[in-house]
Amino acid sequence: MMELLSIEYRPLLAIFWPGAVACLILLFGSRPNVRESWILIGSTLLFLTVLSMTPVVLQQGSITFKWFNLLPGIDFALQVDAFGLIFATTSSFLWILVSLYSIGYMRSLDEHAQTRFFFCFALALLGAIGIALSANLVTMFVFYEILTLSTYPLVAHDETPEAIHGGHKYLAYLLTGGVFFLFGILTVYYAVGTTDFTPNGILKPALDGTSRLTLQIAFFCFMMGFVKAAWMPVHAWLPTAMVAPTPVSALLHAVAVVKAGVFGIIRIVYYLYGTELMHELSLGITLACVASFTIIVANLYAIGQDNLKRLLAYSTINQLSFIILGAAILSPMAAIGAMIHIAYHGFMKITLFLCAGAIMVVTGKKQISQMAGVGRVMPITLMAFTVAAFGMCSIPPLAGFISKWYFCLGTIQADQMAFLFVAITASVLDLVYFFPVVRTAFFEKPKDAGVKETGRPLYLFMVVPLGITGIFSVLFCLFPNMFHIFDLAQTAVNNLFGGV
Amino acid sequence: MSQNLPAIVVILPLVTAFFVFFSAWWVKRAGYVLVIVALAGCGALSVWILTAVITDGPIHYWLGGWEPPWGIEYRIDHLNAMMLVLISLLSLITAAHSKESVERELPDKTALFWSLYLLFVTGLLGICITADLFNLFVLLEVSALSGYALIAMGEDRSLYASVRYILLGTIGASFYLLGVGCLYIATGSLNMADLGQLLPDLYQSKTILIGFSFIMTGLGIKIALFPLHGWLPDAYAYAPSAVSAVIAPLMTKVMAYALIRVMFTVFQPDFSISVTHVTDVMVWFGTVAILFGAVMALSQSDFKRMLSYVIIAEIGFIVGGIGVANTIAFKGAVFHILNDAIMVACLFLVAAQIMYRTGGHRIDDFKGMFSTMPTTAVIFSVGALAVIGVPPTCGFFSKWYLLLGGIQAHQWGFVAALLLCTLINVALFFRVFDKALYVHGQDTGGAHAGIPGNPHPSGVPLSMLIPAGVLAAAIILVGIFNQVIVDEVIRYTVPSGF
Repeated sequence: MMELLSIEYRPLLAIFWPGAVACLILLFGSRPNVRESWILIGSTLLFLTVLSMTPVVLQQGSITFKWFNLLPGIDFALQVDAFGLIFATTSSFLWILVSLYSIGYMRSLDEHAQTRFFFCFALALLGAIGIALSANLVTMFVFYEILTLSTYPLVAHDETPEAIHGGHKYLAYLLTGGVFFLFGILTVYYAVGTTDFTPNGILKPALDGTSRLTLQIAFFCFMMGFVKAAWMPVHAWLPTAMVAPTPVSALLHAVAVVKAGVFGIIRIVYYLYGTELMHELSLGITLACVASFTIIVANLYAIGQDNLKRLLAYSTINQLSFIILGAAILSPMAAIGAMIHIAYHGFMKITLFLCAGAIMVVTGKKQISQMAGVGRVMPITLMAFTVAAFGMCSIPPLAGFISKWYFCLGTIQADQMAFLFVAITASVLDLVYFFPVVRTAFFEKPKDAGVKETGRPLYLFMVVPLGITGIFSVLFCLFPNMFHIFDLAQTAVNNLFGGV
Repeated sequence: MSQNLPAIVVILPLVTAFFVFFSAWWVKRAGYVLVIVALAGCGALSVWILTAVITDGPIHYWLGGWEPPWGIEYRIDHLNAMMLVLISLLSLITAAHSKESVERELPDKTALFWSLYLLFVTGLLGICITADLFNLFVLLEVSALSGYALIAMGEDRSLYASVRYILLGTIGASFYLLGVGCLYIATGSLNMADLGQLLPDLYQSKTILIGFSFIMTGLGIKIALFPLHGWLPDAYAYAPSAVSAVIAPLMTKVMAYALIRVMFTVFQPDFSISVTHVTDVMVWFGTVAILFGAVMALSQSDFKRMLSYVIIAEIGFIVGGIGVANTIAFKGAVFHILNDAIMVACLFLVAAQIMYRTGGHRIDDFKGMFSTMPTTAVIFSVGALAVIGVPPTCGFFSKWYLLLGGIQAHQWGFVAALLLCTLINVALFFRVFDKALYVHGQDTGGAHAGIPGNPHPSGVPLSMLIPAGVLAAAIILVGIFNQVIVDEVIRYTVPSGF
């Protein structure tokens, strides 16, 4: 029994917890308090499991766990490496906070089908952790589909025609992406007979037997497969999916789902194709252009939004492409920036979403124009919002600054100043649409009756998590190495480039 | 005794079929017990035969001691051993599931039903075990005739569906018989292995070519390949639940087996591939069947009819996979025979449970299924995800082999159709999911009053849930352990000419 706790079984243990939690949720569906205690216990255990692997990975390299043979040459295998741990740590830590928040949110609004909600949520976490830890493309595909399917009932949770339409759109985009992904996997497998993620890629030898065009098409298929990363022009599902309850938008559409997309793209770029091949097929520059386009256009879209969650959705699209851009520049510094931004952006964006949800629960407001004076009613919430929003604009001393700093160093390192310009423009535009929100909330006088509290039951459940993530958004700038995030990124980049 | 086991597999259900019918005169319930015992016996024997084949290689059995090619030979290799296990276990599970639904849907015909059911299974087992082309025809008729009768027992429109099936099925069988006649005229033999040696010298003969095309057409009707599929949707949709649950997964799959036998044992692979190029034609027919089946399924409002069109699409997978004619795709096609049978059986059992609970099998009857009948809903989800091809269900893995084979052979049309079909299946099944899952503001009270005298208005009995649960578990286990199946069994079914 004790053997199961040994380090080689930890990866399995990590995907076991969310699965176990999902089962327990179903079992105790009729007793909300017990059900939600299981979630809190399970998510804490998951986080501790993930965290316990970090020192080992930093010192001894990645942990591999091969379970069984799935297809010829492909095992169902989990591999914990430095890069995967960044994503796993972020999602598992934020799951604890969002679970706490969901309890407050769902009960305050007296939502229906809470058991289904929490069950699907746990399954989605299983998918996200699985993606972070999978050792090859097929294993990743398994978890990728779990993530897609389990989030569908969450998006359509309200069961209004609008929500169901949003769910359909979500499913249509993501499962079509899945089909492209599958085709990409098949092409890679057909070309090299394996799909294992290896630093510096596995596809280089394929260039002898396969045409450049095939590999480029395969790359396009992977990009279509990671439609979860919401790059333009396949981003439209994300704003529509904002009909979901706020905890879903927060964890899934700021952390788990969309980050799974960018995580996958980085895996493809560095661990499947490798820097050399990316240069040789001129895929890096193409990807960078797509990402730059998305950054600028998403920001322009965001400026016009009045619905707070939609604004946040466009901001997410922009930040995701920022991570993609960091990876696509193919320089060590930019890669570090991209990797740590997965974690930092997760913390900041989740704060923003949690604030939006709290405002919605307490005052019933969803439109920015109606939020005049809300800062005086809910000062802590709006403080956290302001901190995270300025973090998005990469103003020091906030987490976003660190990642953008490394990104900018990366563009200089790669001698691609055009993208430095993109990054700076993006920061300015970020400010353009976040500042009015803050101004409205704090300084504008309410027009009519003003913002009224409709009640704040279980308010603490909501304000504590968002306070914590808000504080973390600051702390990550002062101590970038919390949870070993920075060490992990550096180790990953050392493995990829042989040094910074 | 033990060397006679291959014959007993067929004789056991055949003999029991008669006892079942007559036993009902004395004890009403005895018939059902006999059915279960006989099918369990068949299942055990098939599994024993499969292990024997895996360890010792193919089994030859001469019926009545007559030497081939004069006598009838039973020859069991990996392919038909797998089919025997599939047929006997699947029919056992369906029989275990169907006790209640038969008693409700056909209260005064139970004995007759079970008797025909066993005859039908006898026919299928016989088709798979025999190595004689004419014997295959006889058993084909045994299963088809009992199949017609079983289907005709169903709802009002089933009589019309059955007559249509009789007409087309008989035409198919006649084509097959004419084809076998042509081969017999040219070679004087009916034994498959013997024909396999005699035929290569006669590949250019017009008689042989006509015989081959007749057999292919006949089997094409029986397998419901796209333009010849007309009989299938009505027949499966209006049959009694228990009947569609056994005929739908098995009949077309067994015919696919017969197709493989004729193409690659009676004839040699190079005849189909390079002499007649029939495999190229099959890829295109398969591709069209996939798209046609998927699109037609999308336009149905009846769940069982929808499943029928899904079967037509899946037949396209199998036929196309055989037509791609390389090792990987062939593995995929054979594996898909197995997987599709399990998936479709699982979904038809779900349809039977919905029928049991609500009295209908329209998609509307699934309303609120996740709250009213959660176990059934979970089983349905597993089956549906398998048809869509989501890993780790078995449907993903056969699709993987088919796609990889298609890519290797550069059959891009076929690959595209497979991928597109996956997407259409998503739309197909999520339409049902939506009905089943989102009940907010909908009226969830029993959509139908149900059949009068409903003994279990509140739920589906365990005797139905357990067999369906076993199939759902099988879907996942076959998926996870697919390498064992492929390495131990399916690898050996690939014809040597590839």
